[in-house]
Parts: sequence; C-alpha cells; structure tokens
Amino acid sequence: MANTRELVKRRKAIRNIRKITRTMELIATSRFKKAMDRATQAEPFTRKIAELAADLTANAGAIRHPLLEVRETTKNSVLLVLCSNRGLCGGYNGSILREAGQGFRKLKADGVNVAVEVSGKRAINWCKFNGITTDRTYTHFEDKPKFEEVNELAERFIAGYVSGKIDRVDVAYTRFLNAARQQAVLETILPFSGPAKTEKAPTGPKVEYEFLPDAAGILEEIVPVSFKARLFKCFLDAAVSEQIARRVAMKAATDNADEIIRSLSQEYNRARQSKITTELSEIIAGAAALE
Amino acid sequence: MESATGRQIRCVVVTPETAVLDEHADFVAVPMYDGELGVMHGRSPLIGRLGVGELRLRRGSVNQRVYVDGGFVQIRDNVVTLLTERALMSEQINAEAAAEELRSAVAKVGKTEVEQTEIKKAQARARVKVRVAAKA
Repeated sequence: MANTRELVKRRKAIRNIRKITRTMELIATSRFKKAMDRATQAEPFTRKIAELAADLTANAGAIRHPLLEVRETTKNSVLLVLCSNRGLCGGYNGSILREAGQGFRKLKADGVNVAVEVSGKRAINWCKFNGITTDRTYTHFEDKPKFEEVNELAERFIAGYVSGKIDRVDVAYTRFLNAARQQAVLETILPFSGPAKTEKAPTGPKVEYEFLPDAAGILEEIVPVSFKARLFKCFLDAAVSEQIARRVAMKAATDNADEIIRSLSQEYNRARQSKITTELSEIIAGAAALE
Repeated sequence: MESATGRQIRCVVVTPETAVLDEHADFVAVPMYDGELGVMHGRSPLIGRLGVGELRLRRGSVNQRVYVDGGFVQIRDNVVTLLTERALMSEQINAEAAAEELRSAVAKVGKTEVEQTEIKKAQARARVKVRVAAKA
C-alpha cells in the first residue's frame, strides 16, 4: 500500500498547479475578450475599403497596381511567421511552425531565396533549433498589435515589392474562423489578390459618385491601404487565436488536475482505511493472545 | 440634438484599429488632398482622397476638431465616412509634443529626394497637429 504521506504531498503539489493553470485560464479568457473586441473594431475599416473598391471598380474598370502584378519567376521571397512569445498554449505554435516549415522547404526546393521574418520567441527558438537563419525577429507583437507597428512592416514589404527586391510574401499564422475554430495557414499576401470583395450584392440603384481626383487614381491608392489592412488582420487574428489556444490548453490542464486530485484522494482514503483496519486487527489479535 | 435647420449629416471616422468618431453635425469640413471641402445636408455622393489636415465638425455652436492623416472619404445619403490610417481628437494631441515634433522635423536635413519628401511630409503632419492642438 502506498505511503499516505507521499500521497498527501503529491495531492498538495497538484492542487497548487491547478491553481496556476486555473488562473492562467481566466487571464487568457479576459485577454481573448479584449483581443476579440479589437478584432471586431477593426472590421468596419476593411468592410468600408471593400465597399469603396467595389464602387470604384464599377466606375473605373479593372484595377492595375504594381502590388497586384504576378511575377513570372520568383527569385526572392519573404516568409513571415507569426507565433507567440510564450508557451503553454497547446498546439498553437506547433501547427503554425509545421505550416511554416513546409512552406519554407517548398520554396527552397524551388530554388527561391527565402528571407525569414519571425515574430514571437517560440518561433525564434524553433528557427535556431532547425538551423534556419532569420533575417528579422520581432518580439514586441503581444496580444495587442498596433496598426503603426504593423504599418512599418507593410511599408517595407510594399517598397520591396514595388522596387522588385521581393517577388513574393507569405505569412504563416493562425486564421480565426470563429470562437471554436482556428486554423494554422500559410497565405501568400504578395502578389496581392486585391481588396476583399463585399459579400452583399449591391442593393438599389447604383449611386452616381463624384470623384476627387478621379476613380482610377483613388483606386490605385486604395490597393496599398487594403494590403496594410489585410496584414493587420493577420496580426489581429493571430492574437485572438493565441488567447483561445491558451485558454483551451489551460482548461484541459485544470480539468486534468481535478481528475488526478480525485483519484489521489481516493487512493489516499483507501490507504488510510486499510491502515486503520490493519491496526485494529492487530489490537484485537493482541487482546485475544492475552486471554 | 436638433439644430436650427433640423437637417444634420452623420460623420464617421474609421481607422484600421477602431472607429474613432460617429457623430451628427450641421456642417463638416473635410481635409482633401488639395484643400478643404465643406459638406452640408444634401451633398451629392462623392468619393475622394484625403490629405493631412484637420477635420472640423460644427454642431450648433460647438466645434469639434480631429487630426486626420490621409486616407479616403465617402459621402452618400448624408453620411460622411472617413477612412484614415491615423486620426486624433484635438484633446488627444499634446500641444508641447506637437511643437517639439515640428521643431525636430524642421531641423532635419534630407540628402536624397526620398528623404526630403519624407521630411516635408513629417513637417506638414506636425504643423497640422500644432494647429489642431492650439485651437482645442
């Protein structure tokens, strides 16, 4: 029979761990809500831009912009990996890095120079471990990415693409589908696929707009802005997904701890009971021997 | 709030991060790329490019000022929507910091053409900030 003291000690240790995981779960929940709010607040901008683009294309025809051009040969590409700074979030980082690794190997096999840019300590360590040299690393994108910070990256990508130094930009991140589903994906954001299309069909009569300066000119300006919004959305999605992943992981850990505590308590009670029984029978045996 | 004419327009300012402003006003002055554009009730639909400047809203005798850094404007059905990368309410701008920004922007010397245009842009931004802050 197991030592009761040992069992009590183990149970205590697991209780303490449970406290920590439970707290982390709560923190992740509140952070997730905040991140989610930010993501929903960012939505009107993307929607409006898409609306404007749709109105403009109706007036100006097809969009032509350097960012939309597909290069015949890809020589230099950038792979941006968005991971978390902290662990304890289940398979979140693992699945992103799996996608990123696959993409990286595929590009390498095609003879493309890949510049790897990573965000998050987890991804930095992974690159170090796998012997992938990183061109730039970021650790300042936490659960609240700022547009200005993302803007810097976007501006650099745009300048690089327009000047021909970069032929392609891929992002590996976790796309937020809904609160129950997130998916690690590798997406090509440059060449840009154009402003997102509005889902709703145009209602009512077409509005006759006045354009300042002209439809084509504005459309050209909209492309980089919607690219920036797109990249920003990647960061927001990543932030939301990270918190969800952490919450799920910590919830599972807390549940597990509960189960272990229960089984340990049971074992402890049994051990104690059998000890008492043994003692009793010893006393009875002793008393019987005296008679 | 009913205005004297009873005919107001709605003004919405949206940045990639959040919706900064959503208010009704009698009159809105929008900073376009080539100058200011006044908008009142019944303005015909318009899509245009914004410049760096100051957005003004007048409601009754109350004036509101917002610093806007480029972007686009859409006007339709008496709703003025401004899409901009950065927007700051006049209360959010620190006058001293803005003045300091202007000083450092003016002091900079650009060697290449790209640098020079960048500096000019920074100067324009700082000037508008100073102006918006001064009137707050």
